[in-house]
Amino acid sequence: MATTTATLTLSSSDLTGDALSLSTTATLTKAGTVTGLNQTTGVARKTTSASSQYTLFDGDAYANGSHKVYVKNTSTVATEYVTIEINSEQMGKLYAGDWAFFPWEANADTNDIKLQPSVSTALTVEYALFYE
Amino acid sequence: MATLTVSLTINSLDVLSTNLGLSLQKSISVDSGNIIRAKVKGTAADSNDLAVYVANQCSDRAYLYIKNLELELENYIYVHNDTDTGLVAKIGGGEFAFIPINPDKKHEVYATRVDTMIEYGVFGNDNSANQYGGT
Repeated sequence: MATTTATLTLSSSDLTGDALSLSTTATLTKAGTVTGLNQTTGVARKTTSASSQYTLFDGDAYANGSHKVYVKNTSTVATEYVTIEINSEQMGKLYAGDWAFFPWEANADTNDIKLQPSVSTALTVEYALFYE
Repeated sequence: MATLTVSLTINSLDVLSTNLGLSLQKSISVDSGNIIRAKVKGTAADSNDLAVYVANQCSDRAYLYIKNLELELENYIYVHNDTDTGLVAKIGGGEFAFIPINPDKKHEVYATRVDTMIEYGVFGNDNSANQYGGT
């Protein structure tokens, strides 16, 4: 069994009068168990040169489970973004340098995670999937 | 304008043959945000959902931090927007997500179990025309 931990920290000294300092850690486990996720794509990068949508993770390729996804837009151009779609729902847009981390169930063949770059010039995303 | 610093580290000594140590940090300019703990009453979509984001509460972009404070992993929370049918995220007990959300859509949460406690926060640039706290 592998042990993988994810820690998220949110901090701000000037957002409110009371400084924000939040840190939370989760051990990445399989659905309904304390068994660690033991498979991963590793940390990888994909560069596109078109603004068409593409499938990052195919729901049909993974069992129904409690997978964890990390995605980052590595662009340094502030206006360049990547739209994340999950199960045909727009989750949101990752602007330059933004990242997201979230669980993914892959509960149906159609439960894909798709990305659509805003530009047709080179844009690189970094990603990792930890799965059952 | 304020600065929110968001960091993520993912570590593992044994998920690969080589150590995994991913560390990220991003500073985001925002003018509003919150951290809230609340109980989720609803156990089905569109019935006593807890609203965590009001449509157009933020202009142009918004980020959602949400954590399921349940101890049992199978006590899930479900994040969805109120105009589409699919889920934005399904989060088990003890798990969290940090995601960008579509700022145009109201986001709501329901849960496997009544009174599931969650912690959440939305950060972005406030749109005074759609004040937070609406339902």
